[in-house]
Amino acid sequence: MSQRPVYIVAAKRTPQVKSGSELKDVAAPFLGHYLIRQMVSEFNISDVDEVIVGNTGTPAKYANVARVVGLEAGLDKKTSCYSVHRNCASGMEAISQGFDKISLGRSSVIFAGGVENMTQMPLIYGKKMTDLFAKLMRAKTPGDRIKAIMAFRPNFLKPIVAIEQGLTDPFCGKNMGQTAELLAKELNITRKEQDEFADWSHKKAVAAQKAARFKDEIIPIIYGEDRNRILDTDVGPRDNSSVESLSKMKPYFEPGTGTVTIGNSCPITDGGAMVLLADEATMKKNHWTPMARIVEYHFHGLEPERMGMGPLLAMHGALARAGKKMSDMDLIEVNEAFAAQALAVMMACKDSKISSRWGINETVGEIARDKINVNGGAIALGHPVGCSGARIIVTLAHEMQKRKVKTGIASLCIGGGQGGAMIIERV
Amino acid sequence: MSDNIFNNCENLEIKIEQGIIWVYFKLTSGKSLTTLTEKSLSDLKDFLTKLTPIQKDYKGLIFSSHVEGCFLAGMDIDVIASLNSLSVAQEGTEAGQKIFNMIDDLTIPTMAMVDGVCLGGGLELSLACKKIVASDSSKTRLGLPEVMLGVLPGFGGTYRMPKKIGLINSLDLLLTGKHLDAKKALKLGLIDGICPRERFSIYAEKFLFAKKEKTMLENLKIFASENLLVQKLALQKAKEKVFKQTKGFYPAPLRILEHLEKSIGRNRREWLASESLSFAELSQTIQSKSLLNVFHLTDAVKKDKKQNEVVKIQRSAVLGAGTMGGGIAWLMADHNQNPIMKDIAKTSLELGLKQASQNFKSALKRRKISEDVYAKKMFSITPTLDFTEFKSVQLVVEAIVEDMSVKKKVLADLESKVLEDCIITSNTSSLSIGEMSTSLQHSERFAGLHFFNPVNRMPLIEIITHPKTSPKTIASLYQWCLQVKKTPIVVKDGPGFLVNRILATYLNEASYMLMEGVSISHIEQTALEFGMPMGPFRLMDEVGLDVSGKVAKILHDGLGERFRPAPLSELLLGKGWLGKKNGKGFYLYGNGSSNGGSKDQNTLNPELQSLLTNQTKKMTAQDTLNRMMLPMINEASYILQEGIVANAEVVDTGMIYGIGFPPFRGGLLWYADRVGHHRLKEWFETLSKDVDQTRFKMSDYLTNIISKQSRFYP
Repeated sequence: MSQRPVYIVAAKRTPQVKSGSELKDVAAPFLGHYLIRQMVSEFNISDVDEVIVGNTGTPAKYANVARVVGLEAGLDKKTSCYSVHRNCASGMEAISQGFDKISLGRSSVIFAGGVENMTQMPLIYGKKMTDLFAKLMRAKTPGDRIKAIMAFRPNFLKPIVAIEQGLTDPFCGKNMGQTAELLAKELNITRKEQDEFADWSHKKAVAAQKAARFKDEIIPIIYGEDRNRILDTDVGPRDNSSVESLSKMKPYFEPGTGTVTIGNSCPITDGGAMVLLADEATMKKNHWTPMARIVEYHFHGLEPERMGMGPLLAMHGALARAGKKMSDMDLIEVNEAFAAQALAVMMACKDSKISSRWGINETVGEIARDKINVNGGAIALGHPVGCSGARIIVTLAHEMQKRKVKTGIASLCIGGGQGGAMIIERV
Repeated sequence: MSDNIFNNCENLEIKIEQGIIWVYFKLTSGKSLTTLTEKSLSDLKDFLTKLTPIQKDYKGLIFSSHVEGCFLAGMDIDVIASLNSLSVAQEGTEAGQKIFNMIDDLTIPTMAMVDGVCLGGGLELSLACKKIVASDSSKTRLGLPEVMLGVLPGFGGTYRMPKKIGLINSLDLLLTGKHLDAKKALKLGLIDGICPRERFSIYAEKFLFAKKEKTMLENLKIFASENLLVQKLALQKAKEKVFKQTKGFYPAPLRILEHLEKSIGRNRREWLASESLSFAELSQTIQSKSLLNVFHLTDAVKKDKKQNEVVKIQRSAVLGAGTMGGGIAWLMADHNQNPIMKDIAKTSLELGLKQASQNFKSALKRRKISEDVYAKKMFSITPTLDFTEFKSVQLVVEAIVEDMSVKKKVLADLESKVLEDCIITSNTSSLSIGEMSTSLQHSERFAGLHFFNPVNRMPLIEIITHPKTSPKTIASLYQWCLQVKKTPIVVKDGPGFLVNRILATYLNEASYMLMEGVSISHIEQTALEFGMPMGPFRLMDEVGLDVSGKVAKILHDGLGERFRPAPLSELLLGKGWLGKKNGKGFYLYGNGSSNGGSKDQNTLNPELQSLLTNQTKKMTAQDTLNRMMLPMINEASYILQEGIVANAEVVDTGMIYGIGFPPFRGGLLWYADRVGHHRLKEWFETLSKDVDQTRFKMSDYLTNIISKQSRFYP
């Protein structure tokens, strides 16, 4: 397939913060609009063809989040904007669609990324209460109305927590933590291994913060009830993290006998990330220097109850499409939904006996410890669902610049049983 | 039925469609708004005289206008200005009342279909119709603003408004002159329906013939509020409120209340007779004439559309996130400028955001904006420590520390970060714009943009030009100020520019008086009784004694001996008193924080006495006032002499909108003209003899005016 090259010109993100804290008052569109605004100003962009934004918790008020992001960013009203949803990989899905459109020559300049405010995911009335409201609306006579109201029972008011439902697989009935437990059990991943992995993620993230590794990718954001504070750094990484303190936490998803704890899982997080994509002609015309070129991407499905293994299949597919090997990758980002899940992917990549369970009979290739999530992963930095797919590409692109390395891959597992991966190349 | 009965005349267009007469108001040539003129009123009278006997031939009468966004903006302001005697004014209103009575007395259905501005006489005409229907346009505004010109509605408005919406509802509209949009007007019952302008002709009949019966609840409401006892009580309450708000300086609202109280329960003839007399008497007051001048000043600011090419400023930035920087960022954000606010530390940026947030929060509290808009406006601000986004702005306002060398360095650096057509300005209140301009390669794009504190409350902006400032830069800044709903004046560079320079003479002279032994409360009281928003010492506390001392020094250095500062502020500064900002100045402020409450704020600093000679010197109020006013008038004349501003009108605009010089005085120089050359001469001579030769030496400009027995105003 002949493709036109697609470049990442700039890549920016918000600081990421555990839900319910600093960014709780920043509605989803405002986790993205200012990122675009800055890139537009910095690169003096006059025409944007498309804004594609991943988001899973679609706020009732902003049904098409992307449109609000685009308009609030000050883009021309003629700009096409749409939102995409592929659960945990929504942000990557947005970038992959931007890649397709530019590579096919349909578009020249696209903003793609993801925003997620998990704090603001709603509580919902249950079906019984909703039915009651519906009956009440249809009631014509006072008698009908009283009859409808009489059917009320206090337990109708018990809310459904949208986020809880969203993190439970509707097909297999397991919640995400339980899928991680399943992989841990089947692959014999111990509690200790998981806690060590989580601690390692914090240590890497703290070191990265101290070395100002994220400075170029984060644009400070206004926050607070009075909108008079400025946040310029991720809040998740713990300087005082230790395997010992992690080992004291109770298993959350399988009380008593489980291994997955809050400490070795990613926290529920608010954040946004956005990249500027452009074609060759636009790059030349504006004398822009690209950060990277997108080489390939691949999405792949698997059984929902083992969704955590998604990156194995996605990376395998992306590498095959690009004609590359894992050993060609200088940096690797694998989203850390759960330590158990990330460890499972690492195990499967180097062991064809394991990967063959998912139909991959050759060895995909070992993921070197000094290449994976070098600045920490979602366990420390957080996982704003719709944003993470874009966030790991932002972080990867910047780290590749800093290390002056050639190729990198970013991959995530996707709730519902999928994986996504994208390969980029520094130019 | 034929169209020929009503000859179309110059100011009205009359059309008959399916038995309904449509009367459209036309634009008078040269005007942008439709207004009632003597000519259009006489056309209207002729038409109504012809119509009345044959009205039964028609199904109804509708008034409308062909001008989009303007039904009738009221009586032509020049007509009001020309009412130069009581009898002329009274005859004028009576004539108008008669014409509107003719509309009122028609037996066929009558209706005003209003799109856009419907104010003053325009609304009074509409009220004379049986129905008013207004368009849903955002431009639609209904109100009786006459009180703001120091008069009252004189064409039956004070009679028909209470009849339509009740006395109590009317009070608010009559006493404040505020405008209502269509939705609020409908809720109040001032209009009978809302209809999009595009569908006026389609729905006209439906509205014209619709029968409207009051519901039981409405009748009950009327019964509860429109009885004599409740009305008297409401009038009493209103009187107290008016007195508190106007301190008795403005006669119109009080006269309106008096007139209403007298007229309740009277018939139309009596009511209107009282109205026209009240109007006529108010129209002859000095306050009304002064307010009319303020109207003209404001109008002139808006109309001053220089034909120059302008830079369209879509995004702007402010350097420095202090109180002023935050306030300026707020202003920019409020007017959709997506501002950038740059400072050198995150903590400073947060202070600036706090200022902007406070301003928006106060609008939120008053329900001027919604929670959503509040968040959106705040998120439209980009707080930053670097210049990354500066290529996207067309205007930068520097509001950093008041230090010439720092400013020059920052400006030079800034110039390399912005595009060529970006206008660069400084919000300095005292430093030389000319000197600052030397730090720039392209100084033609540089000017001062002097905002007043607090930015959200002070309407004035001084645009300070230096010799190289290009006309394009000036015109662009002028347009920008209007765009952000501020009142700009163009002032040439010079110590203290316009407002602070004049103000300083007032503060300085008050200080001299205090040192001579006049009591602080006497001086403050005299200023307040003149109508100044606050006394000179209170003002110095607000500004900060350090700041006013610094400005005084700059003025003394730049303008010479008449600005020699009274050694008063030195005394206070020696004690470490800075005024309100650190809790102690001429007054005490509760614990240095804002929770002092109003009671605390009236406490004079007891330690002050020890610094001063015994405050036993007695002066008459007039002498005290002269001491403060004359130096200001003199300084204004120096300013005109030096060509710092174009004319006396600009001086007065600056004084009214910059320091709150009392509007009912018409402006500083308007007031001086009312004092008259005769008395001015006498007063100046006495003061230069008795007080100080230098400070009360008249400028050549003023001497010239006095010797020619002329005026500041043309």
